[in-house]
Amino acid sequence: MARLILPLLVVLALLGALILIDPPEERADLVFINGNDVTTLDVTRMSWIPDMRAADLLFEGLVRNDVLSTGFDVIPAAAESWTISDDRTRYTFTLRADAKWSNGEPVRAADFVYAWRRGMLPDTVADYAAWFLLVRGGQAFFDWRTSALDQYAARPASERTQDAADALWAETLQRFDESVGLRARDDRTLEITLERPVPYFLDLIALPVFCPVYPALVSRYEIPAADTGRLELRQGWTKPPEIVGNGPMKLTRWRFKRDLRFEKNEHYWGRDTITLDTILMLSTEDPNAQVLAMNSGTADWLSDVTPPYRGDMLAERRAFHAEHAAEYERLVAEGLPQYEVDRLLPPDPRKHVQSVTVFGTYFWNFNCKPELPDGRENPFHDARVRRAFAMAIDKRSITEDIRRLGEQVATTLTPPGSIGGYQTPAGVAFDPAGARALLAEAGYGPDAKGGAREFPVIVELAFNKDSGHDLVAQAIARNWQEHLGVKTRLVQKELKVYREDLKNANYMTSRAGWYGDYGDPTTFLDLSYSTDGNNDRKFASPEIDRLLDAARAELDPDARTRILEEVERILMDEELPMVPIFHYAQLYMFDPERVTGVSAHARTRQLVAWFDVLGDGKGDDVPRSTHAPGEPTPYLPDAWKRAVHERSAPGTSPSLEPAS
Amino acid sequence: MIGLIVRRLAQLPLIVIVIYTITLVLAWKIPGNPLEQGEGRRPAPEVIEQMQKQYNLDNFWTFYGTYLWNASGLRYASDTMSGARAREAQHAEESGSAPATRPVFDLGPSLQYKDFSVNEIVASALPVSVTLGGVAMLIAVVIGVGAGVVGAVRPNSFADLATLGVALLGISLPTFVIGTALLMLFGVWLRVLPVGGWGTPSDMLLPAVTLALPFAAYIARLTRMGMIEQLSSDYVRTARAKGVSERGVLMRHALKNAFLPVLSYLGPATALAMTGSFVVEKVFVVPGMGQHFVNAVLNKDLFLIMGVVLVFATMLILFNLAVDVLYRFVDPRIE
Repeated sequence: MARLILPLLVVLALLGALILIDPPEERADLVFINGNDVTTLDVTRMSWIPDMRAADLLFEGLVRNDVLSTGFDVIPAAAESWTISDDRTRYTFTLRADAKWSNGEPVRAADFVYAWRRGMLPDTVADYAAWFLLVRGGQAFFDWRTSALDQYAARPASERTQDAADALWAETLQRFDESVGLRARDDRTLEITLERPVPYFLDLIALPVFCPVYPALVSRYEIPAADTGRLELRQGWTKPPEIVGNGPMKLTRWRFKRDLRFEKNEHYWGRDTITLDTILMLSTEDPNAQVLAMNSGTADWLSDVTPPYRGDMLAERRAFHAEHAAEYERLVAEGLPQYEVDRLLPPDPRKHVQSVTVFGTYFWNFNCKPELPDGRENPFHDARVRRAFAMAIDKRSITEDIRRLGEQVATTLTPPGSIGGYQTPAGVAFDPAGARALLAEAGYGPDAKGGAREFPVIVELAFNKDSGHDLVAQAIARNWQEHLGVKTRLVQKELKVYREDLKNANYMTSRAGWYGDYGDPTTFLDLSYSTDGNNDRKFASPEIDRLLDAARAELDPDARTRILEEVERILMDEELPMVPIFHYAQLYMFDPERVTGVSAHARTRQLVAWFDVLGDGKGDDVPRSTHAPGEPTPYLPDAWKRAVHERSAPGTSPSLEPAS
Repeated sequence: MIGLIVRRLAQLPLIVIVIYTITLVLAWKIPGNPLEQGEGRRPAPEVIEQMQKQYNLDNFWTFYGTYLWNASGLRYASDTMSGARAREAQHAEESGSAPATRPVFDLGPSLQYKDFSVNEIVASALPVSVTLGGVAMLIAVVIGVGAGVVGAVRPNSFADLATLGVALLGISLPTFVIGTALLMLFGVWLRVLPVGGWGTPSDMLLPAVTLALPFAAYIARLTRMGMIEQLSSDYVRTARAKGVSERGVLMRHALKNAFLPVLSYLGPATALAMTGSFVVEKVFVVPGMGQHFVNAVLNKDLFLIMGVVLVFATMLILFNLAVDVLYRFVDPRIE
């Protein structure tokens, strides 16, 4: 019998031996979990946050946001200075002389022109192509190339040769140079002319999407294809050892679905400010595995804590603060930022989870078309009905009893106080009696003669499964049943189906959310422009369109802000195409006694290269915390400090107070 | 024997084309646009239109034909014979561009992971899954057969009931429960094993055991049933009467016959284990194939869906063939 167990023991012994001889890999200075694997490192084509977080390590645009300033200040990066013409359409950037690619070559103005041209080409199919088309002549160039490609594809096969494709490409380049407002005046001077003034342009181009790519490398991978005339996008240049960047780190290893390893870029002009020699980005996707990796010490920072029990994690954090109430309140009273307070409290894993209010809003859509998808008359076409339904939602109970993530109740789309100088309206408050009266006024409910007209449809609440949207939908449905006496039906959909139905307005009411991309109210308000591609509510108001057009044409920043305030007032006090429920919170996880440099700003951009591990003997090991707008950032290169000092801060957005 | 292998290999392309057609029709019908992110800003309509043209997604029949042409290796063969490959390489050299990478079986680019081709994804994920699945099957066979024999030798003894209990647990407890429990025990509390990842043998231990347990449980039941049947048969009584040692009876006579049902189960089971388990990969952060079966569909990443399905189908057919061949060695009576 014992002999039968022998093979089992042999296998176990072998596995045990394998573990013992296992060579431990040297740990990177900082290990972080990015939420998911990177889908692309082609900056021009990227659109989602984990990709951009990696791009911030490898590339550097003309300007950057100082993520530790409460104003999210725009500060010089690859450009050392710039001037803006009086009509606000021409930007002239001067690149710094010591800006270099990771192979030691200088970063030239023409490299930016090359990258931005890629963004404008239909061949590149960049997610954010529309932003590149803000440049003068961009849209016309895109349209011209599109139709030229269509004509090419229609040619007989014998005329679609490599030479013909090369000729079309040469013509395209010539057309670009002649018609698009992008010029490299010399190696260090870049001139950008816009179609119209874009007040948030500097903030926009701080996004990694606008970073340069190395033309000598990328052009080798983009060859006009003989059969279509299009540039064939060959993969390969974004991976080591090929990839060339101009950012603080360089990529030395990318193991698909495992990790990306970064090392300090010795050619980076600001290399002296980087204290991390190596960074490892783990591609761990499972929310629970991410938290386990943090708890076991495998990783130092988790960019987004998402397991279903995260509400409990925050509750434990509050319990920890309650245990040290006296100390906690003393530190808060000193005005210390959130991370600094936690750093000074006694060590405890419960304080590793941090909740930050972000520049985004969770809301509930109404389909605003005159008719429902099934052809019946749509009661939600009437703004009074929408407002009544908005007033009947008890948002506080949703954030406190259901979400439990410390999120702020929202009555406006733009988070209040998130954009400097911009006043958000009051919005509608929870008022069941008022809601009933308003619904009656709209013709549903008891009328003057003592009769009653029932609400004509069963109200459908559509949402995608996962992420707890079902619980929010149930709460809203219960509110509407109780306070308005309407019948409701929950409709759960798979994410892709839900997205498709939203796009085609194939719903009655639905869950939705929006994160602002840049520090301007239009990042939220443009959603309600009648022809906007993201106007899922199909809300169409000539007045809103007129005001948004007027704001677009307005050169005076203050007058423009007043117009936008009026737009949001009409939307949130009167029209309510959507009901804001709460402003999102995002949860980070890290030990504040060990890791510093994490931004608490609502825009959630993190410059991981400027994180520091305290007590590792590298750098000054001084905690880096939030500072007021326009103030010099202590950890930044001297050149940056000077530049920030000399410039009056381009005041974008004082941050929201962190939620706790 | 040779005839069987040739016949089966000739059937392979036909079966794969049927699977390809059914899968592509289903995948094409998945609602939603593969080129959009799950949340957030949509690209402008004219950009979406260009994306569809770039990836051939605007017409089902064009896609059906082109993908089949590329994936089957016909394009590679045709390009090689017509000299197109040589011309392309020459053009690349003259213009100084990077040579196009055209694998023989070109499964296309991934729509979700824009920097990777499906070939690269399979090349990175399949070895992981094959290694993990292989180790797991080894563990499963050792544990399963061992436990099955123990149970059969003394039916209804404590050892038998204990293995029955463990087997029942192994079959009925979902993998994510076992996996998470092992992870908590060895990774978080005892801290002797990593909590996930891939690259070192110790990374492999917990996922392999987790993956092996349900298979081991099933193999144990199969072995026990087979052994009990064989041990009560005439030839075993004869062998014992001849004075063959108990070990000889068990190992040389009974187990050899009792192993046949296990063997036929091992074919598809190995293919299944080697193409990855979504749950095990998720819990232990293993970069294997299993996740792509699920995520590719959720993302409607057409190229990746087709790629992993074609690879899986081919593997399944080959493993079944291998089992049929093995069968003939173990039991020469089978024709």
